[in-house]
Amino acid sequence: MFDAVFTNLPYLLGGFLTNVQLAAFALAGGLFLGALVGLGRISKRPWVYHPVTVYVNFLRNIPLILVIFWVYFVMPIFTGRSMDPFISAAVSFVVFEATYFGEIFRAGFQTISRDLVSAAYSTGLTYRQTATYILVPIAFRRMLPSLITQSIITFQDTSLAYVIGLQEMVRRTTIVDSIEVRSIQLYSFVAILFFVICFIGSRISLHYEEKSRKAKVL
Amino acid sequence: MIEIKKVSKWFGDFQVLADVDEVVQRGQKVVICGPSGSGKSTLLRCINGLEPYQRGEILVDGVSLSDPKTNLYKLREKIGMVFQRFELYPHLTVMRNITLAPMKVRKQSRPAAEKKAMALLERVGIPDKAAAYPANLSGGQQQRVAIARALAMEPDCMMFDEPTSALDPEMIQEVLEVMIGLAKDGMTMLVVTHEMGFAREVADEIIFMDAGRIVERGSGDEFFKHPKSQRTKDFLGQILK
Repeated sequence: MFDAVFTNLPYLLGGFLTNVQLAAFALAGGLFLGALVGLGRISKRPWVYHPVTVYVNFLRNIPLILVIFWVYFVMPIFTGRSMDPFISAAVSFVVFEATYFGEIFRAGFQTISRDLVSAAYSTGLTYRQTATYILVPIAFRRMLPSLITQSIITFQDTSLAYVIGLQEMVRRTTIVDSIEVRSIQLYSFVAILFFVICFIGSRISLHYEEKSRKAKVL
Repeated sequence: MIEIKKVSKWFGDFQVLADVDEVVQRGQKVVICGPSGSGKSTLLRCINGLEPYQRGEILVDGVSLSDPKTNLYKLREKIGMVFQRFELYPHLTVMRNITLAPMKVRKQSRPAAEKKAMALLERVGIPDKAAAYPANLSGGQQQRVAIARALAMEPDCMMFDEPTSALDPEMIQEVLEVMIGLAKDGMTMLVVTHEMGFAREVADEIIFMDAGRIVERGSGDEFFKHPKSQRTKDFLGQILK
């Protein structure tokens, strides 16, 4: 009953690989930029805090698809050359997800007591060292369940990149469907694949939540 | 080594420090006591450049903390600090808590930093806890690790902000013993505490603060036997009961 899927399996899975690659870029870049955004959001320096806050509030209040279009169509006007859909999508995701990861990091940073930061400073650590070795690792561990949940959402959202013609799995499925006309099995297959990956992800998140509740280490 | 000249500080409209004057000589041990909210902790935080002050001047080894050219990070290496709630890094082992600053700030090699850390753990009496995480230690042990962490930077002065007030009674002594040991080795110390037994034993000078001011100061004996102000008498009456 999955005949159309099987005949086109390499093609479809090739698309899925694009989703995975895009998610990998989005997560690596989004987490890195997100940690910086989170630090900016707790900064006492107005010239850091305000721009970062405007950036976060702006992007969190517009749809992701708009960001994808914006980067794809508007960036070339500034750079003078057309954007590769993958690079364009990766940039969009990093910029967009960083605001969500940033807010998660901010919440994590706010669980860290002022005296713990003072203790780090009092041993001579600089702001940068304190952020790198103390703030970010603690916030990361404490917020791991939320970060995993957001990562799952990011992974699902990668399929949105089909709107700028990126050959990811959903895009390829529509192409296969237009030839084979097997909508039910094709879209079911895509759904199952996404479900399995994301379900495993949410189980992992749950596992860490339990673990941190039991261990009380942090 | 620390000179505090007419320092005042406000949180908004509220004045936390009012014209505080104090000089701490190298090797001197000063105990600061007073009711909560009297500005004791804030004073320590100011001395370590963790809080700004609005008026007056604090000099550490002759270098002004409020001078914008002063490298506060460099200056903080000279003064170790121990906090009420230990404030160990929860995600790092005891060993890493102690070696982090020597390795990152002083660029010591890991073996050198670890050797030094082990010696410090011996000194505070818990060499067997090097691989443990802070959450698996008792309060007294955590505070001793915190002292070792501060000592790892080989500071010229150690400041303690109510180091025993978050501890269960049976653990207070083990921490005080480490502190008395430090005092006997000649460390310059500034200690905010209500442990009057400790104050009597080690303090060269005891300062009583109230509402951001130094109300009274005196050598150990003089302070306890002949308190001058009524406020000090009331306070001593309260805590020595």
